[in-house]
This record gives sequence, C-alpha cells and structure tokens, in this order.
Amino acid sequence: MTRADYGVAAATLLLLVLLYTLFWSESRAGFPGDGRAEAARIATADGREFTLPLDHDQILELAGPLGTTVLEIRDGAVRFLSSPCRGKLCIHAGWLRHGGEFAACLPNRISVAVVGPRTLYDSINF
Amino acid sequence: MNRTPQSGRTLTLTPTREDLRIAWLTALAIAIHVAESALPSPLPGAKPGLANVVTLAVLFLYGWRAAVWVSLLRVLVGSLLLGTFLTPAFALSLSGALASLAVLGAALALSRGLARLSPGLHLGPVGMALLAALAHMGGQFLCAYAFFIPHQGLFTLLPPLMTLAAFFGFASGLVVAAMLPHLESQPPRAAAAPEVQDREGLRP
Repeated sequence: MTRADYGVAAATLLLLVLLYTLFWSESRAGFPGDGRAEAARIATADGREFTLPLDHDQILELAGPLGTTVLEIRDGAVRFLSSPCRGKLCIHAGWLRHGGEFAACLPNRISVAVVGPRTLYDSINF
Repeated sequence: MNRTPQSGRTLTLTPTREDLRIAWLTALAIAIHVAESALPSPLPGAKPGLANVVTLAVLFLYGWRAAVWVSLLRVLVGSLLLGTFLTPAFALSLSGALASLAVLGAALALSRGLARLSPGLHLGPVGMALLAALAHMGGQFLCAYAFFIPHQGLFTLLPPLMTLAAFFGFASGLVVAAMLPHLESQPPRAAAAPEVQDREGLRP
C-alpha cells in the first residue's frame, strides 16, 4: 500500500464515522428536511383541536368529562402530567417527542399527537 | 462477415487485439457477476462486487478506457443473462458502475499528477478499490433514493451499506494487489489475436 492508499483508507474511516453520527445518532441530524418534532396537536373533550409549539415550555390544564387533565410541555416534548382517569395509560405513555407519537386519555377524551417534519410511522391502525 | 447486397463485395470486420482483450476480460467479469448473483444477500444492495476486481485489474493494466468498456459491457450483458435488463436492479447496477468509473477516472488522473510530485503519492490498487467501491455504493444509493424509494428512512441504510462497501472494496483491493505482479510478468499472448493491422480494421 502506498501513502496515498493509507490516506484513502483513513478518509474512508472518517466518512463512515461521519455517516454513523449523521444517520444513526439520536438526533438524526442528517436526514434531509429533518428537525425535532415541532408541535403538539391536542384534541379536547369538547371537540376543539389546537396545536402548540414544543419549544415553548408550559403546563396546560384541560377540562374533560371526568375533571382536569394536566399536560406538560418541556424541552421539545409533551406528556400527560396528571389525569383523573382510572387506568392512567395516558401518563404511562410518557414523553412524546418524535413526529407521529401519540397518546390519549380516552376516559377524559383528550388526545395529544406530535406533528413534525418527519414522522415515525407512515400510518397507524388500531 | 457481412455481404452487402448492392456491391456483392465482402466486408470483413477484424477485431483489434484490444477488442479481443476487452472481450476476454469482459467475459471473465460477466462470469463472476453471474456467479455472484447466486449468492444470498443479507441486505438489499449488498454484494461483494467481485466483478470489480476485473475492472480494477484492467484499469491498472490497460488504462481507464478499457476499464470503462469492461465494466459497462459487464453490466449490460450480465443484466441480459440474469433477466434484469432495464429493471430497477439494472438501473442500480448501471448507476453504481457509472459513478465508480467516474471516480476511478478522476482518481487515476489525480494519482498520476501526484506521482509527478512524489512517487509515494500515487494510488495503489487498495486505494483505487476503496474509492471505486464507495463510489459504486454512493451512486447506487443516490439512484435508489432519487428514483425508486424517495423516503428519508432509506438513509438509515446508508451507514451499514457504506461499511460493507468499504470492507469489500478493501478486500478486492488486496486481491487486485496480489494479482497484478503475476499479470504484469505474463508475456503478452500473441496467439490470442489473429494478425491485425489497424484499429478500425474495416477493409473492403
């Protein structure tokens, strides 16, 4: 192997490291047109639907048929903080961060979906 | 032999020695290409690319033009034999071959320029094979993304595919490096080609 060959081999290794950091890291920064998820689309019991940006930290109190459900938006993610329902499935869903992630409190009829430029799923069926 | 109806005279197309050489080497590359297509592949698009060993050996022995002929003829005839002509597989194969040939041409020119500065700076078989393999995979990948699967999820496949390409490129580079001394010491086989006068070889 010549010196130039070693140079090419080193450049190849660098390229591979770059590719893995771009496409296999948590931030997935290399995907074209990607960013973090940007907004939470929230649907409430009275049929209203609104969208809130995730880069703005806040606590939301939403009224439902059972009582008040509290949502928290922090650090680009959204979660159910508390809900008067029985199963607490919505709270166990945890932080929603990526486009396409979804959680709902069916008893209190409130749902949250993260909408972003990139979605995790093409479609979901229940 | 062609018999032209107007004149009734015989036209003989005589292949030059270079034509025959390219035909032989292409036949070898096609054989490897077809044999390799029988190997199962864990990832779509991941193949050892052993036929490129022939392309690289031709590049070092006979230059870039001959390598272009061998590589493109191999893609064309290989696809005809495998029944993939004009299918997506053919488009991927062709785009990969074109990309690697373009990079090989540029690398060869650059390597010759650098070798004038310092002899240790020219690219050997391993460097060339690495570049060719990465360019092949890159070209294929871009073709797949542009025409067949324009979905961003495809990029998740790029790092492992490139890793495989680098690995197989390195391996085939070592194979070429081991082959070349034997090939270069081989005396030219005069018997392989019949007497040939000129490149065009079209005699009335």
